[in-house]
Amino acid sequence: MSFKTFTVIKIFVVIIMAGLVGWAVVSGNALIPIPVALAALVILLLFRRGVKEVVVDERIYSIAEKASLVAFRVFGIAAAVIGATLVALGQEVVPEMEPIGFTLSYAVCGLMVIYYIAYTCYKRKYSGKK
Amino acid sequence: MARARINNQIRRLRFDHGEMTQEELANRAGCTRQTIIALEQGKYVPSIELAFKIARAFSVSLEEVFQYEE
Repeated sequence: MSFKTFTVIKIFVVIIMAGLVGWAVVSGNALIPIPVALAALVILLLFRRGVKEVVVDERIYSIAEKASLVAFRVFGIAAAVIGATLVALGQEVVPEMEPIGFTLSYAVCGLMVIYYIAYTCYKRKYSGKK
Repeated sequence: MARARINNQIRRLRFDHGEMTQEELANRAGCTRQTIIALEQGKYVPSIELAFKIARAFSVSLEEVFQYEE
């Protein structure tokens, strides 16, 4: 199967999934989207295996790495600044803002912890020391 | 520090190998055609592994494909 065929199939699967999820939301059934999303994922993975040509290579991974780093930095800085501002505002002006500010701040802390763990693991993996 | 640059002869080598298509080279090297295009335009520097694969696809040494200039 060519990548173009896979892309067409992917679009169809996403349209069907979006339709089913939309219908589930309208009908008030919150449990349907989960199996639908899982089924779509499995179907796409099965079709993905049928693609023989190289779709993802080191250049794509390199681009993804750079994009991830930019996203990490932008989100980290923005969320930290907004979080601190909301906490300050919550304590002085609008009390409702405080939990949102704390949530954002904790999210940044969690992100930093994940980054530190991943960095340490990769540093050990690619270190020359025994 | 002076900016180093890695040039390549991929376009010329493709021509020398019977006008090998970018698609064919990509298949032989195990990468996408977009990567070959980016390499030929000097927009992307490959990993050592991909560089070796490209050199092997042309049956030449690495230095014949890639040149390091300071």
